[in-house]
Amino acid sequence: MTSMTHSQVTRPSKWLAIGQWIVGSVTNQRTLAGYLEPLIQMVKPKWRSDRIRSHILTVRQETSDMYSLVIRPGSAFKPFQAGQYLELTVEKDGVWVSRFFSISSSPKYFQQTGLIEISIRIQDGGRITPWLPTALRAGSIVNLSQAQGEFVLPSHASEHLVMIAGGSGITPFRSMLQQLSLNQDRYNGQVTLLYYARSETHFLFQQELTNYARENQWLSVEFIDSEKEGFVSEDHLNHYLPQLANSPENVNAMICGPSPMILSARDLLRESHLAPSQIHYEFFGPEPTEHQTLGAANVLFKQAGKQIEVGETDQQTLLDLAESHSLKPVSGCRMGVCHQCICQKQSGVVLNTKTGEYSDTGHEEIQLCISRPVGDVVLEL
Amino acid sequence: MATSMQTAPSKDVLDAFAKELDDIREDTMAKVGQKDADYIRKVIRVQRIMDLGGRLMIVLGFLHPIWWVFGVLSLGFAKILDNMEIGHNVMHGQYDWMNDPNINSRNFDWDNAGDSNSWKRYHNHEHHTYTNIIGKDRDFGYGLLRLSDDIRWKPKHIPQFFTYMLLAILFEFGVAYHEVAGERIFMGKRRKVSHLPISREQLKNDFFSKIGRQFFKDYIFWPLLCFPVFLQVLAGNFVANLIRNLWTNTIIFCGHFTEDIHTFKASECENESQGQWYYRQILGSSNLEGSRLFHILTGHLSCQVEHHLYPDVPALHYPAMARKVQKVCEKYGVPYNTGGFWKQYFTVAKRILTYSFPTKKSAMA
Repeated sequence: MTSMTHSQVTRPSKWLAIGQWIVGSVTNQRTLAGYLEPLIQMVKPKWRSDRIRSHILTVRQETSDMYSLVIRPGSAFKPFQAGQYLELTVEKDGVWVSRFFSISSSPKYFQQTGLIEISIRIQDGGRITPWLPTALRAGSIVNLSQAQGEFVLPSHASEHLVMIAGGSGITPFRSMLQQLSLNQDRYNGQVTLLYYARSETHFLFQQELTNYARENQWLSVEFIDSEKEGFVSEDHLNHYLPQLANSPENVNAMICGPSPMILSARDLLRESHLAPSQIHYEFFGPEPTEHQTLGAANVLFKQAGKQIEVGETDQQTLLDLAESHSLKPVSGCRMGVCHQCICQKQSGVVLNTKTGEYSDTGHEEIQLCISRPVGDVVLEL
Repeated sequence: MATSMQTAPSKDVLDAFAKELDDIREDTMAKVGQKDADYIRKVIRVQRIMDLGGRLMIVLGFLHPIWWVFGVLSLGFAKILDNMEIGHNVMHGQYDWMNDPNINSRNFDWDNAGDSNSWKRYHNHEHHTYTNIIGKDRDFGYGLLRLSDDIRWKPKHIPQFFTYMLLAILFEFGVAYHEVAGERIFMGKRRKVSHLPISREQLKNDFFSKIGRQFFKDYIFWPLLCFPVFLQVLAGNFVANLIRNLWTNTIIFCGHFTEDIHTFKASECENESQGQWYYRQILGSSNLEGSRLFHILTGHLSCQVEHHLYPDVPALHYPAMARKVQKVCEKYGVPYNTGGFWKQYFTVAKRILTYSFPTKKSAMA
């Protein structure tokens, strides 16, 4: 299983199409809600027709570089599965900015309290994550998408489930473990969480996770200081997961954390005879490419009339390239999920850094933020 | 008048000129943020209220005709706001930085018979790049009117003031037809070189589709919805469209056809420096003085010069920038064309009439 996919497009029925045509003609907007949005914002500031308007309850500092937002989602927010993520959209200096975060609390907790938590790591030199805790407080308004994602507990409990978390990658696992614990279900199998963090003071939810491990026989949690003991290695697997050597076919593994960690953990598990279908992980952002054999390329931005040469070792995505040459394409999450930066590629091949696939040579819509040029490319931008 | 770029200030002088103009732009763009986002949303709110309120008042005309009159004025005002302060500026990309799916140049559609994509192509790209270059900027005369000495006089130009009045009344269709005419879709010899990024079929479809949707909105949907007063609503919508057509046409004509406007030859404008481009934009544009409300009603096209210098800066900053630009122009001896509305418009009418008849090349006007 690999990274996130977006839902399939269903064909609208004929009546829906007629209705949309009428709305489009009468309002000159794509949806009626979009037309009414500025009016609704008179009574509900920051309301978005395509998002769920929600309120911040608290901003809670967790560690030196991580904090949690406790949010009361608007009524349109649907129940979700533990491990899923959502898109958080806030207005910063007049700009709508969006980022994706795992929901770090459980569906059961949402059911009981109507609240969710998302836990955020401050990125060095980041635009948004350092700014959010200064700008948000109790009562602040944020916009949420519905929960999405496939990084959830496998539907069939396997004999042994291994969770490998690196740093802020603990968030989906906390959701899952909280869910299992609150639900009082006896999990049909063993769960082992290997939680790697930079130091003793960088473990999130340490008390909570320790409590879960204490209350539940089927769960064991290991807090591993990666400075001292490094990230997941063969030794760790041997030490903490002896079952792996004995019967790898009964093991399911889930990995979440920084991209390099996921890649190395995945490789390690494959070596331990786990089939790809037994290894589940999620990248937040484009998957890093391992083979860099892209030659020099010319990218033509047709409407802007700009042609840019891309060097052989240049790693920039088309979005970076455009922006560094004073073009301003619409962008959103900058990681290939929200489709805001969708642009028509007229010709040429691009590498989709998220799926690792090379595109076709003709006309197609691409997302600028996750596309890198391979050879000459012409964009309708 | 035709301007030879050879009489323009030297390239070095223009480089310094450009730097000062660039500084004005940077100073302004540094301030763009929450206030601009709030502003454009407020304008859109006002537009929605005047639009829906106007349509309601038109219906209430059955109580007393004065309601109908206010309704038509309100709806006309809403259409003007939508086309000018909102539509024109949003589609220039002035608010794309907001990342708002409804207030960006890619998705915005305006209340006008013209297809937005078509307009963006010929306006943002063609008109703003080749401003006032005869033969390249088809906005100069719209292929209908002779407005300078660059086109040879023909007898068909004599009645062109009537053509102009017809264009003003039907202006939204002129906007719709402009690119289609340029591409010779329905008549005329097809150009050898076309930069149209879509097929001719697509262009034709888009053209008819938009006109059809606008017709449906104002002459079928709303009248039918208010069935008992069908004709009243239809007439009201017609007059509101007419008001918008006349107003937008007038303001737009004042931007490039006043006295002292300069035209340019394509050969002189190849490989323009930034300074030379700025110079041509200033000499090819003219401003209107007025109140803040007047500026908003014109979509800030009253500051045509600033709009041409900085098409992607949110327009509400133009009046403040205008004061600075005017000072810089004075410093460098670059002519700056501005005046009160009636004075400027008078010179536009004069121009249309003057070039209806043969003019001596030496007598520039």
